[in-house]
Amino acid sequence: MYVKVSYIFIILFVILINYWLGILIQKTNSKQRKNVFFYLSLLANLAVLIFFKYWNFLILNLFEFFGWLHLTNSVSPPFLDIALPIGLSYYIFQTIGYITDIKRGTINAETNFYRFTLFTIYFPKLLVGPIERANHFLPQLKRKISFDKENIIEGAKRIAWGLFKKLVVADRIAIYHTAVMLHSDRESGITLLFASLLYTFQVYADFSGYTDIALGTARMFGFHLMENFKQPLLAKNVSDFWRRWHISLSSWVNDYIFNPIALKYRDWGEWGVFYALFVSFVVIGIWHGAAWTYVFFGILQAIALIYETVTRRARKRMLKKINPQLYKSVSILLTFLFVTFSLIVFQSKTIGDAFVIIDRMFTNPGTLFIFPSAALFMIIGCAIIMIYDFQEEYKIWSFSLFSNKSWVIQEVSYALLLIYILLAGVFDGGQFIYFAF
Amino acid sequence: MFWINKIKQKGLPSLLLKALVFLFILFVLDFVIGTILANLYSKQKPGEIYRTTYSLDSTKADVLIFGASRANHHYVPEIFEKRLNLSCYNTGRDGQIIFYNYAVLKSVLKRYSPKIVILDFSRNEFEVERQSYDRLSALIPYYKTHPEIRHIIDLRSPFEKYKLVSKIYPYNSLIFTIFMGATFSHEERKHVNEQNGYIPLTKSCYTRLTVDTSYGTSLLDSNKINAFKSFVKDCRNANVKLFVVLSPLLIKYLHGDPSVNVAMKIAKKYNVPVFSFINDPLFHNHLLFADDGTHLNDRGAKIFTNQVIDSMIKNQGGNISRQNLVDKQNISKN
Repeated sequence: MYVKVSYIFIILFVILINYWLGILIQKTNSKQRKNVFFYLSLLANLAVLIFFKYWNFLILNLFEFFGWLHLTNSVSPPFLDIALPIGLSYYIFQTIGYITDIKRGTINAETNFYRFTLFTIYFPKLLVGPIERANHFLPQLKRKISFDKENIIEGAKRIAWGLFKKLVVADRIAIYHTAVMLHSDRESGITLLFASLLYTFQVYADFSGYTDIALGTARMFGFHLMENFKQPLLAKNVSDFWRRWHISLSSWVNDYIFNPIALKYRDWGEWGVFYALFVSFVVIGIWHGAAWTYVFFGILQAIALIYETVTRRARKRMLKKINPQLYKSVSILLTFLFVTFSLIVFQSKTIGDAFVIIDRMFTNPGTLFIFPSAALFMIIGCAIIMIYDFQEEYKIWSFSLFSNKSWVIQEVSYALLLIYILLAGVFDGGQFIYFAF
Repeated sequence: MFWINKIKQKGLPSLLLKALVFLFILFVLDFVIGTILANLYSKQKPGEIYRTTYSLDSTKADVLIFGASRANHHYVPEIFEKRLNLSCYNTGRDGQIIFYNYAVLKSVLKRYSPKIVILDFSRNEFEVERQSYDRLSALIPYYKTHPEIRHIIDLRSPFEKYKLVSKIYPYNSLIFTIFMGATFSHEERKHVNEQNGYIPLTKSCYTRLTVDTSYGTSLLDSNKINAFKSFVKDCRNANVKLFVVLSPLLIKYLHGDPSVNVAMKIAKKYNVPVFSFINDPLFHNHLLFADDGTHLNDRGAKIFTNQVIDSMIKNQGGNISRQNLVDKQNISKN
């Protein structure tokens, strides 16, 4: 485990600067001074984020650019050997949103320092979000919290589901996916395709599993954090996908980047929207990490959304001619395949690596590399997640084990869920061996 | 008393009741399913689990092979049996290291003393690696029945004995393997091609010989070194003739390895012969003997096994027969 106590000062700095500037923005009547304080805060937040997360990436690319211009000299790039502080991107985006809301006048600055600190680093959401909004979370911190049986039960249920997604589905697929991608140059096309399809489930189960644990923990303490996922693998198109996937980030980008840009360039007509989409998704891409693959991942999403905007009318006309159920099913499948395709870029070290994997999928014949027991674990896990999401989305069955009216049936169901986690969960690296040879 | 009334109003007593009922259901399910799994585990047909159970509980072979995948796929018991006229079993298991080997040896020595033990040793065997401990999960199902190996399994974490409160925990990730292993008969599992523990590999290698210029991992795990020392000492105390062998790879190493150096020192101290085939040109020059860069195929394994036996016979002055070993055991006992 990597622990650096001095990193506490980064959080402290972010809290102090935003607390203080938030109050100053609120208090001042001068628009000019409001702007000065706002940009000061923005600068401080972005400086911290860029320094710790993107410095090496920027320096590397700058030196490569100079090299391309034949301007290199003997100076070695000033790389920093620093670890990324946990949760940095989450709380920086949260405080930027907070400051922007104060400047816009949609919220009042929080004057209680302890409350503002809690808002910034409330522990369940510190690691993986969600990126909370001040108008949603701050009022909850102001009300009196008391013991509530319902919160404990519902929170515990949510944590159980989170553990299932993380330990049984995500970590199980991760073993297979890591083994395949480690030797992607040797694996058959069908193996690479299967691993890539599973990776979509892995990322979803991993991230939404962590989110469930965060939301469940917060709920046990009496807080309702915002939902981050809403059955994203059942999205009918890419824009629908981004309304369901990492909702706290996509809605943040929508409110603080897309809308202001689209508004500013509204005279450009559709081109203004396209430009706003492009910038927004490049930000979403690079938010995930300092690499060109993330930027390219964002660009792919922007291209898909621009395509959907351009073809909206044509698709509506097509819908009138085709069976709606068939249209919907094909749309879900195509969206899933697009997401899988873009996640190949997301997971690769370089864009070149991603294209090699995609190329090998279609040009390298061979058999599927898999062990029957591992395949069963993965397929059952994915099936359970999809059945759950399907029920949440379409409410097909009136009977439900996990929200049954009888608390005994509910308890037996959750006990079986925990038993399955014990049976099929990945608790350490011991399972990695099954794919190492 | 105000706060007690307040809590009552909020439903704490019913929450506690529900929690107790939930724990009871969990306990019953864990007990029932865990018992069924334990029963099925003990009835495994050929396969990895069966081989481990057989190694720990049943083998009475004169010659035992220990090690990881390279032990399992490189030493052909049939050849040992024919050439030495001694029974042989290969206990090697994929991905396992000295901890597993020492645990199997402890269980074996509790039952009987084999005449010869061959330990296949790898470069970087003693490297610091968390996964080495995680892989001890293969032995957790034996924790309760084999007290002699508990201290080795406890290396995983000090909480292992507490985790075993759950009857299901030892069988984590094994449910489908257990069901498949217990459901199908020996005939139906003929695809599990094993010959006294040895699993032949059948591919031919398509990679080239690679050259390794590294100096090996210098950060060594003292637990692993101690386990190796104990392995050597226990063999000596039980009058078992131990040979340490480094089997060949499709890698040419230009430098030594700290793990090998440490093992050599310990072996020398206890007078244990070490045969190194790491840079053997025979295997470097014949790619057809390799399954991949680090494993021999069946053809290569047969040639290698004969080489190991040749080295053993030479080391023992040309005589390694059953009678000779029995005589030597008697002499050392007296």
